[in-house]
Amino acid sequence: MLAELGLAALTLALAGALYAIVACLYGARTGERRWLQSGRNAALLTCPALLLATGALVVALLTEQYQLSYVYEVTNPGTPPLYRFTALWGAQRGSLLFWSLLMSCFTCGAIALNWRGESRLMPYAIPIMMASLAFFIGMSLFIENPFDRWWVLIDAPVEQQVLSSALIPPRAVPPTEANLRAGAEGMNPLLRHFGMVIHPPMLYLGFVGFTIPFAFAVAALAAGDLSNSWISATRRWSLIAWLFLSLGLILGGRWAYDVLGWGGYWGWDPVENAAFLPWLVGTAFIHSVMIQEKRGMLKLWNMLLVIAAFSAVMFGTFATRSGVIDSVHSFARSEVGFPMLAFWAAMTLLALVLLAWRWRAGELRDERQFASLLSRESLFVLNNVIFIALFVAIFWGSFGLPITSELFLGKEVTIGAQTFEFYVVPLFVAMYILMGIAPLAAWGGMTVARLGGVLRLPLLLTVLVVLGLAIGGTDLLVAALGYGVVLFAAIVALFEIARGVAARRRTLGEDSLRAFVALFGRNQRRYGGYIVHLGVTVIGIGVIGSTIFQTEVQHTLDRGETIAIQDYALRYEDFLRAQAVDGRLMNIASLVLLRHGDEVAHMRPRIDEYPQLPMSIAGAHSTLENDFYVLLIRGDRQRATFRIYINPLVNLVWWGGLLLILGTAIAAYPKGRR
Amino acid sequence: MRACPPRAVLAMCRRATIARPLVSLILALACALLASAQASDNAVNQVAQRMYCPVCENIPLDECLTAACQEWKEEIRSQLAAGKTDQAIIDSFVARFGDHVVGVPVDPLLRALTIIMPLLATALALGVGALTFRRFAAGKTQTAPSADRARSEAAYRQQLEADVRARR
Repeated sequence: MLAELGLAALTLALAGALYAIVACLYGARTGERRWLQSGRNAALLTCPALLLATGALVVALLTEQYQLSYVYEVTNPGTPPLYRFTALWGAQRGSLLFWSLLMSCFTCGAIALNWRGESRLMPYAIPIMMASLAFFIGMSLFIENPFDRWWVLIDAPVEQQVLSSALIPPRAVPPTEANLRAGAEGMNPLLRHFGMVIHPPMLYLGFVGFTIPFAFAVAALAAGDLSNSWISATRRWSLIAWLFLSLGLILGGRWAYDVLGWGGYWGWDPVENAAFLPWLVGTAFIHSVMIQEKRGMLKLWNMLLVIAAFSAVMFGTFATRSGVIDSVHSFARSEVGFPMLAFWAAMTLLALVLLAWRWRAGELRDERQFASLLSRESLFVLNNVIFIALFVAIFWGSFGLPITSELFLGKEVTIGAQTFEFYVVPLFVAMYILMGIAPLAAWGGMTVARLGGVLRLPLLLTVLVVLGLAIGGTDLLVAALGYGVVLFAAIVALFEIARGVAARRRTLGEDSLRAFVALFGRNQRRYGGYIVHLGVTVIGIGVIGSTIFQTEVQHTLDRGETIAIQDYALRYEDFLRAQAVDGRLMNIASLVLLRHGDEVAHMRPRIDEYPQLPMSIAGAHSTLENDFYVLLIRGDRQRATFRIYINPLVNLVWWGGLLLILGTAIAAYPKGRR
Repeated sequence: MRACPPRAVLAMCRRATIARPLVSLILALACALLASAQASDNAVNQVAQRMYCPVCENIPLDECLTAACQEWKEEIRSQLAAGKTDQAIIDSFVARFGDHVVGVPVDPLLRALTIIMPLLATALALGVGALTFRRFAAGKTQTAPSADRARSEAAYRQQLEADVRARR
């Protein structure tokens, strides 16, 4: 029953999306508004239809309907209810359906909120959004159907007796419940973590969110309305997509830190990079779009960035789901590779052809030229250059070179962290320097002397901090300089906020708190942006501390033995082998952590043995200063081997992430109507 | 790590009655065992950090828990015990299994492509940026051609009126 309901709802959603495309395009061609309205209604219908289909799958997961091959694949009788629910995005088929649902929610939101205001763009924006949605629903229906069921063919030879199909084959019966329960496989162990409850939905929201700016940009190109209206319609959507993508990346880092057991949070894995690439382009776009809004410049460039962001999302989806690049994330391989590649190429090509057409017609000409090289808009262009260089370098290392090498040289290559760090670090340094200078530069231009004047105080404070670090604590010059560059950007952000508050106090006589709140209320985008900058600098400090000053040792301890590392001591107490309720065997070491002779924590690093793979779960003692992070490598009751990390300032990465999210939320929060 | 003293030991062995090849073999094994005890986990990890798992692609060898990786780590330990340098060990793995076992390709062409392409891309991006600045610097503050603007404004007004009419 659930399978039939899901199939019917999916079919209805596909029909609605396809009808919306045809009706809106016909309406745009004939100018008949009723066709547009009909198309809009069909587009809005996709959301409840997909909600119904997803609901059917969730109920099947929660009620252990193992005849559905997806339920059989991702759960078993030992799976806890929370992970039964998160199993919705635990493998390819469910995650594709979930992706479609999120996309339809975004699409319906964009239609509902922009229908009146952007009526000239809607006849084209709806078909673009619906084309993306129809593609993903089509994949769910025809290639990766989450409602496929197991069937036993009565008359078939033994080896062909069992098959998975959405429709009931002739002379087929369902397998027995006992057989299904006994054979159910269960979720990928890597996904049995609380981080997986939130990380994929956030990342998906970020990915699908970029469909909206792309659809409006292509609609603007198709309709020939190349004013700033597509930007005003999508600016907030871009920020929301960027917010979710940032949150997804941060949560992904936290998941890697907790679950993958290597003491780090970013491994330059190709699939991590696939999510990072749209973030880079999106960051470039949310900066450069300000130049178009304020100065009427970079129209062509902004179009290119929006197309590139959507294209990067689609390519990343293709790379993750097709298994073209292997990594820990490529758990979801299937036959979706070629259709996804074709869809990515088709959508990108369509957008680029429209862009070239309008550009050749001279319709994307800037309204102003840059008046001065020393202006905020010039520095924003430089900022874009850095983000695009980062994009190209990371794309090349993650996808370009491995694919080129395998295709043309017949050699498999792995591009590791040290290669990425070689070219990424200087670009990030340049980004932080610009993040410090650009907010102080004026729109339209300013003299060197004036810029020097406003930079004097932040620079002086930065130099003092670096000198303090060099004299007081940091024995590595590189680290002191790194902290200096990052702190410079932070000081400028704080300086700008303080300057705004002081100006309000002076001119309006407000007290500091009131001035602070009013400042953010009056210009939430600008000051939300400064909070984002502060978040990025806090992340930067965490990254420098936890990479340059990380301590890593591996040591074997006899039971009762203690090892001293820096001002910590670690004592091996006991070892336990136990079986969890879900059937996995756990090897748990018990340790006591002491600092300056005082007991500060009991730690229990463990190795979980799953049929698919063993997993090392770290024991960690966290403070703002550092994380003491222990992995069990092997052991028994007599002796055990541990890998121990001390990660200084690593928690600032997460706190900085929270600041970044807070700042983006402030910037994207809708202003009340006056 | 201390090195085995093969010459001194062999000099003693010359006086022995057992055949030299047999003595050499026993000594080599003894040296390997002695050094093996000295090849610490940290030394193995230092090499393994620069290599990648042969099974789970893109997972550094020192972090991977698969049986294949455990075997490779033991082989690294043996090679360290035999006195090989970190680079020689990595080269031996690359020679047998190819470039994908290391994070920076060893093949000169691939290594050049790895390093040069991103630098070229950065230079290209900077070049485009510089050209844009140059164009900007050469031009004065100006607006788009007035004829175009007038035409687009007229079309815009016409569209607005059509929209308003449609709403009525």
